[in-house]
Formats: sequence, C-alpha cells, structure tokens
Amino acid sequence: MHIAVLAKVVPDYEVPAGDFELSDNRAHSRYTRMMGLYDENAIETGVQLKEKYSASLTIISYGAEDDIPVLRKAIAMGAEKLVLVTGQSDDASVIAANLKMAIDNLGDVDLILAGQQSADMDRGVVHGTLAEMLGLTFIPQVSKIESENGGWKISQLTETGSRDLQFNGKGVFSITSIPENVPRIPAVRAIFAAKKKPVEKVAEVESNAMGIEEVSVEIPTMDSVCEFLPVEDVGETVKTLLTKLREERYL
Amino acid sequence: MGRIPYWNISYGILIDAFAIPFVALFVYGMYRWWKLIRQGRARIRPDFPGKLGPIYLRALFTKGILGTKIYKKPYTGIAHGCLFWGMVLLFIGTALVFLNVLFGVPVFNGIFNRWFMSFTLDLAGLAALGGLLFLLIRRGFFSPERLTVPKERNGFISIVILLGLILVTGFLAEAARIAYNGTDPGAFVGNWLAQNTPLAHLAAGSITPDVIAGTWFPPLFGDTQGWLVFHQYMWWMHGLLALAFIAYIPYSPLVHVVLAPVNAALADPLPGPKMGVMDFSSFEDEEAEDTPPLGAAKLTDFTYKRLIDYTTCLWCGRCHEVCPAAQTGKTLSPKGVMVTLAEYLQQGKLEDESLVDAVSSDAVFSCTTCAACMEACPVCINQPKTIMKLRQHLIMERSEIPELMGKAHSSLELRQHPFFGTGAGQKDWRKDLEVPIFEAGKTEYLLWIGCSVTYEERAQKIAREMVNILDHAGVSYGILEEARCTGDPAKQMGNEFLFNELAEQNIEEFSELGVKKIITLCPHCYNSFVRHYSKLGGVYEVTPHSVFIKVLMESGKLNLTKSTKTICYHDPCYLGRRNNILDEPREVVSSIGELVEMPRNRRESFCCGGGGGNYWAEEEGTRINQVRTREALDTNADVIATACPFCLLMITDGSKKFTEEQKAFDIAELVSMQLKDD
Ligand code: SF4
Ligand code: SF4
Repeated sequence: MHIAVLAKVVPDYEVPAGDFELSDNRAHSRYTRMMGLYDENAIETGVQLKEKYSASLTIISYGAEDDIPVLRKAIAMGAEKLVLVTGQSDDASVIAANLKMAIDNLGDVDLILAGQQSADMDRGVVHGTLAEMLGLTFIPQVSKIESENGGWKISQLTETGSRDLQFNGKGVFSITSIPENVPRIPAVRAIFAAKKKPVEKVAEVESNAMGIEEVSVEIPTMDSVCEFLPVEDVGETVKTLLTKLREERYL
Repeated sequence: MGRIPYWNISYGILIDAFAIPFVALFVYGMYRWWKLIRQGRARIRPDFPGKLGPIYLRALFTKGILGTKIYKKPYTGIAHGCLFWGMVLLFIGTALVFLNVLFGVPVFNGIFNRWFMSFTLDLAGLAALGGLLFLLIRRGFFSPERLTVPKERNGFISIVILLGLILVTGFLAEAARIAYNGTDPGAFVGNWLAQNTPLAHLAAGSITPDVIAGTWFPPLFGDTQGWLVFHQYMWWMHGLLALAFIAYIPYSPLVHVVLAPVNAALADPLPGPKMGVMDFSSFEDEEAEDTPPLGAAKLTDFTYKRLIDYTTCLWCGRCHEVCPAAQTGKTLSPKGVMVTLAEYLQQGKLEDESLVDAVSSDAVFSCTTCAACMEACPVCINQPKTIMKLRQHLIMERSEIPELMGKAHSSLELRQHPFFGTGAGQKDWRKDLEVPIFEAGKTEYLLWIGCSVTYEERAQKIAREMVNILDHAGVSYGILEEARCTGDPAKQMGNEFLFNELAEQNIEEFSELGVKKIITLCPHCYNSFVRHYSKLGGVYEVTPHSVFIKVLMESGKLNLTKSTKTICYHDPCYLGRRNNILDEPREVVSSIGELVEMPRNRRESFCCGGGGGNYWAEEEGTRINQVRTREALDTNADVIATACPFCLLMITDGSKKFTEEQKAFDIAELVSMQLKDD
C-alpha cells in the first residue's frame, strides 16, 4: 500500500491579529513558515496508517525550495520520502494539476490524504479539484480510516455530526482534526534520519489557472468595543453573551 | 589494675577469627552492589576545587560523614545521630580491644580506660539505645505518612531487634563482669546494672535457684557460679551478633550506612539537578556506529551516581513530603520513583525497558523541577535528574508528551516561543515606550526580555518597569530587536535537542552583537545562561534583575521611598533553591516595604507549580499555585512579591480563587512604584 500525503508550507497561522500585516496581498514574509495545521493532522493520519498496515508513505508538496527544511519535519514524523514540485502559484487548479503530475510520476499511489483546508488561503478546494483531475473519489472531512475487507471504513466528522462510510478503490480524503491525529513530535533520531532521506524536486508543469482574478485583499481590523453585561444571574448573562456573539457573527 | 581483655572467656580470640567470614560476607555483599552499579554509565566530571578525583571532600565530610542534612528534622535527626555515632564509637572501642589483644596497645589503663573505654563507650551505648527506642516508638505509634506512601520499606523491625540485642547484651556482659570484679570507674551503665539488678546477688554469691526463679532472669544458673556462664553467654552473643550486623549491612536497608557517605562525596555541591547539555554530534556523524541513548529507558542508561542514588535511598519520604506534585494529588512521588528504580535494580532488571511505564509518564511529566526533593534528601540523592532523564527519553525517543505541554513544545519548535495562541505580538510590551536596541560596541548590558514577558500580558509589565528603573539609574542597556526565548522550556520538557538549537541560535546572535553582559528578568533564563549556555560556548556575565536592582540601590543610583506596605516574598525555585539567590531580593523588598516571610521560605520554599513545563499542564488534584498563594495570603501581607514572570503568572492566577484584588507583583514593579522623581 502506498499512501501520499499532500502538505503545504504556510506563514505562521497564529500571528496575533494586532501583529498581522500584509505585503503584496499575502502574509508578510517576516512570519515564520510552518506546515499547515490540518496538513499535520493528515500526515499524522498517514503515519498511523503506515504503521498499522505496513504501507509506504510519501509527502508531496507544491511550493518553494526554501520550504524543504520545514517539510523535513513531515519525513521525521514517519514518511519515507518527499516530492516537492517547485512553484509559486496560489491558483487551486494550477496547484492541483502539479500535484497530479507528482502522483502520476509515483505511479502506485493507493490513497491520497490532505489537510481539510490550507492554513493560509483557507479554501479547501485543491484536494477536490485534484480528485476530479485524477478521476478518483473525493471524501471530505475524514476523521478516521480503517482498512476493511480490501476496502476502507471511513468516519466523516462535520460540525453537525458524524457519518460512517464504506469505500473501495483509490481515493482522495481530506482530513479533519481530532484528538487521535494530533501531530506527533518527531523523535530526535527520526529528525537526524530525515536529513538523509531522499527529496525529489520536480519542476512545475504549465497548466490552466481558474478564471478568477484577485481584485483586493483585506484583513480584519482590530476594534475594541467594551460593553458591560449585568450579572445578577450568571446563567442569564452567559445566554445574553452567546446571543450577542452570534448576532455579531463572532460564533 | 587495668581491665583484662577477654576476661572469663576461653578462646576469646576465636571471635576475631570468626570476624573473617562475617567480614567476607560483608565484602561480598558490597561487591554484588558494585557489580550492579558499574553496569551504569561512567561519566566524566569537570575539575572542581576541593575535589579528589570524583570525590568532593567537603561534601564527604559534612553531608556524608557528619550527616548534616539529617538534622533538618531535629528529633529524628538527633535520634539517628545518637544511634549512628553511638555505634561508631562502640565500633572504635571494639577495634581498640582487638588491637590490645593482638598488639598489646594499652587501652585498658589509666585515664583512657576510665574516660574512653568505660565512660564514653557506656554513654555511646546508651545514646544508641535511646535513639533506637525513639525510632521504634515513632515508627510504631506516630509513624509519619511519608514513611508509608507510596510504600513502606521492610526490614526495619529486624534491624531494630538486631541492634537492640547487640546493645543490651553488651551492657549485660559488662554488668556481669563488674558484678564480679567490682566497680569499673567510668562505666556508669555497667555499674548501675551490676548494683541494681539480680547481678548483684550473683556477685555476692547469695543467689540460689529460688532467687533466680523469682526474678526476671532466665533460670539459667543452677549454682552460684551461674553468673560466669551468664557473662560468657552475653559476651559471645554480643560478639556474634555484632559480626552478624556487619555481614547483614549489604543485604539490608543498612547498606545506606556505607553508601550515604559515598553518595554525598560524589554529589556535585552546585545546587539543583545540574542537567548539563547533550552532545548530538554523533547523530550527525555518518561514520558513528553507536549513538548514545537520549535520556534513560532502562537502568543501564543511567550513570553510576544515579544507580548509587537508588541503592542509597532510605525510603524516608522526606522528598515526598516537600514535593509540590506529591502534595497536591498528582501521580508523582519522588520517593515512589526512587523506590521503583531501587526495586528494578535489586531484581537485576537492568535492561528492562518497562521502567518508564512502571514510573508512569504522568508522574514523569508532573515534576516541576523545583528541586525541593533534593534539598530535603538527607543522603544527597538527585531525584529530579532521574525524572528528567526519563522525561528526555519519553519526548526525544518516544515522542510522548502531555497534550497541552505538547502544544507549547510545538509552538517553541515552530515560532521559537512556547506561548501558543498568544494575543500579544513581539513588540506589544514596549508599545508607547522608547526602549533602546542593543548596539554592538556601544551598549553595555543586554536586557534579555524572554518569552513569558514578551507574550503574556500580565508579565509584560515587568519589562516596562525594569526599563523605567534602568532609565532612572542611567544604565547603558539595550534589547534585541526580535524577541527570543532561551530554550529553557524545551529543556524542562525534556527536549535537549530543541534547547541546543535555540541556544546555539542565540549564542550566534550574541557573538555577532558582541554581548558580554546580560540582565535577565526570568530566573529560568538566568539559569540557562549561567549553567547551560556556558557549556555551549556562550560565556557571559549574567545578572538577574533582582540582583541588578540591589546593586543599583547600593550604588545610590535609585532614589527610593520606603512604603508602609507589608510585602511577602515568594522565592522562585530557579533563583533561590537552584542558584542560591536568596538575600538580594529580600534586601530589595526590605528597602521598599516591610518584608514578611511565609512558613516555607528561602531554600525550603514551595514551588508555584509553573516549572518543568507545567505552566502548560492540565493539573489533576489540587492546584499547586493555589496552595502557594493561600500560604502567601495567610501571612496577611499587603502584597506578594516575586522575581520570576512564571511565578508572577501562577500566583496571579492562584489568587483569583481567594480574592479579586491584585496581590502579586514582580519586584521590578514594586521598586518602580517607589522611585522618587529627581
Ligand atoms: S523536583 Fe520538585 S516536583 Fe520534581 S520530584 Fe522533586 S520536589 Fe517533586
Ligand atoms: S530520595 Fe532521599 S528523601 Fe527521598 S526517600 Fe530516598 S532518601 Fe528519603
């Protein structure tokens, strides 16, 4: 069994709002680069499947060469090799086409896992587009995967509840975050070993971008408004607070 | 006429001959321990003044031989002292008799006989018996919990019986001799027994079987010469039991008699666990065949010293009694850890990797690294180092870490600070404040801000007020443009690799900037700089802010008014117990208000709960910070002062349970409030 996990390196996704700034319509380059939040959950899921079913695990990324040291963490978590398609596009279709090329090159991939959405663009469209391009089934928001009778038993977790699914064949799954797939801290020996594992760099292929043009980018501004709620009855106050937060669409 | 050695004993010299197999048993028993201990790893120690090879002479004499730490609990300390020194003197007396018999050394004549061989040895025996009785009564009727949790040691009663019999038979043999030969000046116990017990009748020849039957004496003597047989019985029993005692030492908890001084002599007297730094170069080296274990998974991963620790442990539980984790219902008991390791060692399970699980990872991660256990241990055991070695194994080899601590760890790895989810940006603490940036060749002191002060809103005030103090005093100082962490939280969580990475980055930056002098706001940073950076090549003159303020005060650079406030000072573990900085913060506090002490203060201070990465812990049981805050509030002081941002944050949080008032302040905040305008 060969599992591929798609990972994207993004700017720090936890920069406090007051400290966040844009340059060229993207997060400022001064922010530390790191692996996407859900991507780490996907890698952890991949590593667990690898350990359970003696599979092989490859990390595939689309991005800059400078991101290789960050991606080595993914290898240290338990992957065997890294394929980096070098490119700079933000276009979901371009990225998906390049990831498809990397997967096709590998030839024998059975399962493709990806984080539910990237931590920078927050779109959650690349894996769906990729599945379409590969002609594979796409299952979003997957929390658990088990191999059963030659197929897969899958749990899907959404805000409104969970579903158990069965599926045979190859597929692309987007992985959500659950306590069981909190990314492991790579063991120190694995970090050193990861430095010696192969990194395959592949030049990006040309492909058609989506017909969308970015006109402007805005980030939320920090606004401090203070309103005191009466606390005669704490239960009531909490209800009022919840209602207000919902009304203002903070929740 | 002097005393006759081996009086009334035929073939008394046999006791000396018997000594040979008993001593051989003793030597064999100790050799068995040595064989176990040397399966640990040797270590290379840097030279230290006052050292003879690996032996710290002063510690050997004070903590090892004099056993100074045992007297921290005065009653049990004195009882142990009486027993130990009594037995030592009796042993010396016996050795002198031996020398007299073999070489005619004149020990039974004149003043020496009267005042040492008789008086001193009687006093020693009495003291030993008194000590023994105290320990027996305390164990039997007033046993402190620390002796029984998590486990009580077997063997106490047999030791008490053995020692008691040795002492009693010794006195009875002496009394029988005196009863026949007449008073022995100086031997006040023997004289009293000879005159006030049936032995008097024996001596007077007035004893008959009827008399004996009416006394508590065993009906051993059917004629008036019975006392001679009695003396012989006592003498041989005393001698043989004493030899059995010597042989028993290595096979019983008594082994600490030999190992406690050894352990003290090998314990580096620098305070705290002394974790050192790890060398990862062999992991980089493609040629290296063997890479060292990271932390400890089994007994053979520990050094000799640690294995001696486990063998020496008395199971006295003094460490358990002071441990903030054990005292607030966490799984950890430092005594429990020592006991588990001692049992593995005794059972020869040196390669058994179930060790960490036997201790439990919950216990391992609950340690706040406060070192209170080390401070309390009477036999110089370094419990936190063992716990930290297990923790290093868990995180560096097994990738195991509690969830919340793991988040802080990941943040440290990704963002170079552990405050995940912080709402503060790098520069927020100095908003609206002019703070100079360190300039190479121009600035004297680097004011090291550290991560907690940068990213925790309540702690930011410490830096702002310190800036005010330094400006007021006209100090040449500057900060780094980018906020950094020393890496200490990584070290405390057990990841030495991450610590090295962060420290090496900082050292490189310091070298580029030519930093030589550093002022720290956090004792953890201070500890890292002085203890660990120096081992990685970064040697600086580092001063904690509390000490720096004191120096500024003394040089007249701070114009302060004294308030009428009572101020209770909480010693941060990494400043007080780990670095012996106890007086300077108190002097600062005393100059701005009235110093109030908590019951547990200075080196006996109780941790705030935030150390060892446990600032990011979901605590089970009672919260440590609430216990400490309660203790501080009970002094009725107006404010609680401390000199550590982590302590400040923990106590601020702890006080929320008891009061809405802001009670906790950093020393810099309090000083800044008292600065007079010039
Ligand atoms: S260092 Fe502190 S928390 Fe850790 S075992 Fe010792 S006393 Fe307990
Ligand atoms: S480690 Fe020290 S204080 Fe703790 S039980 Fe053992 S001897 Fe006593």
